[in-house]
Amino acid sequence: MIAAYVVNGVKSGLVAGLVFGLLVALVANPLVAFAEEGAHVEHAGEAGDHEHAGDHEHAGDHEHAGHSHAEGALPASLTDGVSVLSGVLWGVFLGVVAFGIAFYFLEPIVPGSGAARSYAFGAAGFLTVSVAPWLAFPPAPPGVERALDPNAASLLYVGLVAAGAVASASGMYAYDRLRGDHGRPLAAAAGALPWALLVAVAVALVGVPSVAVPAGLPSDLAHGLAGLVAFGQALTWLVMAGAHARFHASDDPNRNAGPTDPPLAEEAPAGSP
Amino acid sequence: MTANTVHDRLRLARATLTPTQVLSVLLAVAALGFVLVLFQEPTAHEAMHNFRHAAGVVCH
Repeated sequence: MIAAYVVNGVKSGLVAGLVFGLLVALVANPLVAFAEEGAHVEHAGEAGDHEHAGDHEHAGDHEHAGHSHAEGALPASLTDGVSVLSGVLWGVFLGVVAFGIAFYFLEPIVPGSGAARSYAFGAAGFLTVSVAPWLAFPPAPPGVERALDPNAASLLYVGLVAAGAVASASGMYAYDRLRGDHGRPLAAAAGALPWALLVAVAVALVGVPSVAVPAGLPSDLAHGLAGLVAFGQALTWLVMAGAHARFHASDDPNRNAGPTDPPLAEEAPAGSP
Repeated sequence: MTANTVHDRLRLARATLTPTQVLSVLLAVAALGFVLVLFQEPTAHEAMHNFRHAAGVVCH
């Protein structure tokens, strides 16, 4: 039973990953390169006072002031290829973790039934993996300097995803518990509460997320890039949920039922001679 | 009966999976996640740079 769920997760993730990889190849790669060029020109002009080696002791391996990619060791075709491949693997990763492992455990409390359940879970996945960290780290165009050093930022990023997961799962739990006795509207309100709390806390701590516009980049382009990132992740989750709905439905119910289920075929002959 | 509560799912997983199976899946997932999201080695970081921007992952 679990193996079937994990396989479904990998398959749906692969489908979504291929779509996202295509988006990276056709849109994100050229657009990020273009934006980087814009941000880079500006940085080259003020290179003197922009060498913020002071707050990065390991400036050697982390020269991110203006993204030192012009003199980078790797040819653009290689980095483009790796980015596309990473996009595909990103889909597989999300598929295994969300629809493979988490969905196996949480399926009983995910709202809806049938295909709607896959889409509800996909929405929760988008909120958890993308929106939760964006509360503190909204999608940034190239050239934006983070206030935090990479390790602290990564730690906070993982923490926010975990907080999003807790909010999503507890919301589903609340919805599942209250729906029977108190009706759908109240259950939905209670289910949304953990997320409302998370957003309120995040806004209270770091303020309303806004897209940073680096010097040298038109603000329209910066916002367009952020929109593209949000669209790309939403699309990835939507495709994944759609694929999962199909794979999950086409699974043989007996195979999915697991070893605790007495197969129906064996029960039937009990009364017959 | 079908395993239709979260508790049942947990119990079923405990009963049917060996620790080695659980560990190998978790390790594979952790490795993939670490490389895609957190790996900061300069060459790898540079190669995955566009992807991380596109996915909205913290990359700096």
